[in-house]
Amino acid sequence: MSWRSAFLLQAQSDNRVRRAINSGHIEYAHQLHYLQMATEKLAKGFATPEAEVCPPAKVHHAFVRFQHALKRRQDIQHQLGYPKSDSFTWFVKSVLPLAEKVEHLAPNFAGTTQPNPEYPWQATPAHRVIAPAEFEFPEFDARSPEMARLVWLVDQLLRIVT
Amino acid sequence: MTQGNGLHNGRRAEIERQARLLARDNRIAEPAITRVLWFPDNEEVRLLEVDDTVPSTGDGIIHPFYFRPSPKDALPSPSALALIRPEEFGKAKLPPNWGDWSNAIELETER
Repeated sequence: MSWRSAFLLQAQSDNRVRRAINSGHIEYAHQLHYLQMATEKLAKGFATPEAEVCPPAKVHHAFVRFQHALKRRQDIQHQLGYPKSDSFTWFVKSVLPLAEKVEHLAPNFAGTTQPNPEYPWQATPAHRVIAPAEFEFPEFDARSPEMARLVWLVDQLLRIVT
Repeated sequence: MTQGNGLHNGRRAEIERQARLLARDNRIAEPAITRVLWFPDNEEVRLLEVDDTVPSTGDGIIHPFYFRPSPKDALPSPSALALIRPEEFGKAKLPPNWGDWSNAIELETER
């Protein structure tokens, strides 16, 4: 298996776990964690040439950069069922702000002072230490139209890469 | 000209056709694109687009995204698309095998 295929396969698996734990019984942080990992691997897969024999390099803002590339692609636009480029471009642009926030959920962006779905952090200015499992992540409301669009886009992209 | 050269030139012409098609489509999809450069290759389309709405490379190294062929969209060859900000033009490190900045051909397309 190529590095590209392996990253895309693992992104699909991460996304399946995200869907499987979409339950009121399991803390929302876990869904966000798997969503962040799926998007990161999806972008890394596309950033890796088919014949590449070396592991992919770290790509700065990979998922957001990938969204910028994506909105230019008429072939993917058609595969996702958009007959017109302007509506597809609007759709991808509408997802960008949330995509950037999801990208910043990664621990290397969030550090120890910003919310992230994996490790506890210390909120300022109250200095209260917060565990992801007790945090509601209001900026990532699962019922918001923005999150619904982002999740749909990730689902569809992972569907067409097979 | 040998038959091999003929095939080589035909392939190159097809790659260039696809490069120009993608450049045109991309400018339509993203009006913020200010320049489109084509790095000629006989196997894949290699485009670099300058766009001040994209994040910086961060590490000064250009990392393209790679897309498979899509013959039904008139894209029979694989393609690579790199996005950079204006201040990175001519300075960022190109991907391996893309040559140097002097290899680039600027594609002027009507919007």
